[in-house]
Amino acid sequence: MRSRALLIAAAAVGYLIAAWTVAPGFYDGFAPPQPYNFVCPPPIAGANLPPTSGHLVIKVIGGVSDANSAFTDDGQVVIGFLPGAFDVTGKTEVTVDIKPVSPCPNPPGLHFSTNAYDITADAPLTKQSDKSKWPTLVMRYSNLQADPSFVYFAPSADGPWTNIGANSQAQPYTIDVKTDKLGFFAAGYPAGAVSKASSSSSQILPVTIAVLIVLVLVGGVPLTIIRRRQARGEIPGEDDD
Amino acid sequence: MLAVLGTRPALRAGILGGYILLVEYARVLATEIPYAVVPALVIGGLALAAAAWGWPAERLGLGTSRLATRLVGGAALAVVLLLPAAARVTAVPLLPAGLAAAAIVVSIGEELAFRGALFAALEDAGGAPVAVVGTTALWTAAHALSHPPEFLVSVAAAGLLLGVWRMACRDLVAPIIAHVIADLAL
Repeated sequence: MRSRALLIAAAAVGYLIAAWTVAPGFYDGFAPPQPYNFVCPPPIAGANLPPTSGHLVIKVIGGVSDANSAFTDDGQVVIGFLPGAFDVTGKTEVTVDIKPVSPCPNPPGLHFSTNAYDITADAPLTKQSDKSKWPTLVMRYSNLQADPSFVYFAPSADGPWTNIGANSQAQPYTIDVKTDKLGFFAAGYPAGAVSKASSSSSQILPVTIAVLIVLVLVGGVPLTIIRRRQARGEIPGEDDD
Repeated sequence: MLAVLGTRPALRAGILGGYILLVEYARVLATEIPYAVVPALVIGGLALAAAAWGWPAERLGLGTSRLATRLVGGAALAVVLLLPAAARVTAVPLLPAGLAAAAIVVSIGEELAFRGALFAALEDAGGAPVAVVGTTALWTAAHALSHPPEFLVSVAAAGLLLGVWRMACRDLVAPIIAHVIADLAL
């Protein structure tokens, strides 16, 4: 009995040490795959790496720009283009660049959950009336910030920032949208709005831990007393296992 | 075929391990498809739970004796699993309802597959310590596609903790409870 308890305690200590070396510790596929790289990290971010840029050269085949996706090296922004997305008159290739914007834009009335990114191309996008053929922009966000509700677009870092909507979430911790223009993009929510990650959800982890500890104490203490009495023969033992 | 597997526990454990690894990898790859996250998790979880098909409940660690200990143990294991995150991460978004339901299915499926059927099969083949080491190794390998390499040590340590509990207490109820709570809270 004692050796079993020691074995479990040793495994628990081993886990705590191993999990402390990475944040958030153990998770099973629902947390973001890697920490978000902030231009302006929030105080709780801890160690932060600068976000990276992306560069893509799209070939022009038979007078039509090929399908391809540009993405930053840290995977925080991906923009996918269908064949013919660009007006390639006189061009043999199209270059797309994605750059994080620094300093962080801070437009009045908006709170950005992600970095702002400047997405440029050396050819204009083709005018498409069919929205399904527009480029798809996917932005990853952090679990340390409130979930964004929309993607915002601006022609320059100074704004004005326009809500261009958001599709239903295709992957956890990502927000995506169709866009018919390139420029500055950031995901966020109106400053006065209640985000998905409001104060109640941000407290869920400590509250969960507190409730579990109370459960363990309330349930564990009587169980331990009963076990000891059983061991001393004061009450009949449970025939189990 | 089933009769042969019954007399060759190592072969049975190998086939079971291969099946579980295949399901886990397929589940992870399927979640890369836009809008397929929830269906992939649910179908993957059910396919993992199917690995426990045919095993007696007691062999899986699902007996009803000492139920209070199992429930309290599950809460205690969940505290341990969540402590490193709770100490550092303050903002954790609530999972959407669909994803939360899928998380429950896949958590139970993984426990039935790894610490349930695979543990029992490996125990038949080489004893309880082999079962703990074997399930931990396969559990870590199964998460190699879905987690960055630096997270695999903590994933392995979590698998070892749940496996040690399974061996020491002959119980799967507590690991199931802890795994479900950890997935829902993080």
